[in-house]
Amino acid sequence: MREPLRILIVEDEALILMQLEMLFEDAGHEVVGTAVSQDEAVALAVETKPDIAFVDVRLKGGSSGIEAARAMRAVDGLTIVFMTANVRLLPDDLDGAAAVIPKPFSEKVFGAALPFLEECVRTPPPGIVKPPGIRLAPWFMERIGLRDAEFGAALP
Amino acid sequence: MESAEAWRLTDRLQAEHGKGDPFAAAIRATRMAMIITDPRLPDNPIVFVNDAFCTLSGYDRDEIMGTNCRFLQGPDTDRDDVRRIREAVEARRDIAVDLLNYRKDGTRFWNALYMSPVVNEDGELLYFFASQLDVTHRVDAHLQTRNEKADVERQVIERTRELTEALAAKTMLVHEVDHRVKNNLQMISSLLGMQARTFTDPDAQEKMRLMLDRVEALGTVHRLLYVSDDVTRFDVADCARELATELVQASGRSEIRLRLELESVVTAVDKAAPVALMLNELVTNALKHAFADGRGGKIVVVVEPDGPDVRLEVTDDGTGMAGIAVDPTSFGQRLLQTLARQLGASVERLPAELGTRVVVRFPNDAVEKAAAR
Repeated sequence: MREPLRILIVEDEALILMQLEMLFEDAGHEVVGTAVSQDEAVALAVETKPDIAFVDVRLKGGSSGIEAARAMRAVDGLTIVFMTANVRLLPDDLDGAAAVIPKPFSEKVFGAALPFLEECVRTPPPGIVKPPGIRLAPWFMERIGLRDAEFGAALP
Repeated sequence: MESAEAWRLTDRLQAEHGKGDPFAAAIRATRMAMIITDPRLPDNPIVFVNDAFCTLSGYDRDEIMGTNCRFLQGPDTDRDDVRRIREAVEARRDIAVDLLNYRKDGTRFWNALYMSPVVNEDGELLYFFASQLDVTHRVDAHLQTRNEKADVERQVIERTRELTEALAAKTMLVHEVDHRVKNNLQMISSLLGMQARTFTDPDAQEKMRLMLDRVEALGTVHRLLYVSDDVTRFDVADCARELATELVQASGRSEIRLRLELESVVTAVDKAAPVALMLNELVTNALKHAFADGRGGKIVVVVEPDGPDVRLEVTDDGTGMAGIAVDPTSFGQRLLQTLARQLGASVERLPAELGTRVVVRFPNDAVEKAAAR
């Protein structure tokens, strides 16, 4: 039996937070914490040392998911994935995050992204083809041994 | 006394030039204000003044004679102009300058001063000769033009700043609204998704899932819309790629393969939602009905321009129409018909080699508009 991923969710929309929590738990993973603001996110990341943090770019009270993610980089072995409705506002290197999932996303996007990310984190390079609803940072592709060409191919 | 001085001067002018009275009389009588100063006397005093100068300055002749002509200067006279005149006197050069001067009653006038040294045959400096012309109208007009020009420039700068700010505010508003729309769509699908989990009746749960798929198809449209800078255009191929890939992957049916034959077709943005919903219905139907018995197979999605039309094609090699009768009153079918009507689309359901082929064709307004130009 595989080890479940330990996941931190950072999202200030309560409904979306709740849906993601359900999705991740249904997929057999462990949600180790949920945060709605930048400070809360950083504190929880340090405390719980998750495998993956899904971070909304706009957080409660105008606080910034990008700033949160910067501070969270200090946590060993943590892979950060942004979620945002404004992908174009992110720099190409995603400011140190591994990937971004554009909003609005469907449950299907997460259904496909989770097993893919799991392989990226646990057994790189991933055997699964990258699903369309997620974009990877170039530095992360390099780290997990993926080349651009491998993304061109859709399903057979 | 004044006349004695003046006559003496006239005599001297007469003596120097040796041409008699008519010359001196002309200078006395001309409408051009003129003075003569004697640089050999202390402080270069005025030794001759004509009537026109008295009229221009408002001073009497006896107030003027023997004084230095700096009495014409006032508080707003440009110090640089005065310095230039002094330097010209010292260097015995002639000089022309527009100078702000003051009359006896304190009113100001612009004085087009021309001053030149007068030397005798031995090169000895005798006098300075100066003529004055009131050019207040010319200078004022010039200053006014300059002020008006500066004023217009100020207005242009101000207006440009206002417009730049207005554009920035509007851009921010568009981003904010875009963000809100996406967030709201996300919340709607969150609600539907969470509720769908709670149904125990498989039929009810499936219907809820279908509804979630439709809302998520609208979400996909919005996600794709603002990727390009042109928010009025929409690529049907991009939409088909994302929707079909997601639907097939999410079905968990690894025995069903998806082939995409997509050619970029840019169409007007108001077609985006109905096109996405139709694609969603067609691919969902193929997944649900064509391979019902768990058999494997292939779904082919084609998007291509076809003359003035856009052609969408979803083909499967599953059980085909013979297996299931299409119920035209089902919600899915009515939805398809309604969307087709909105797009002005024809929907043909054709038998394929093995399964079913559905061809949707609708006019591409974007092409028509481009052709009309």
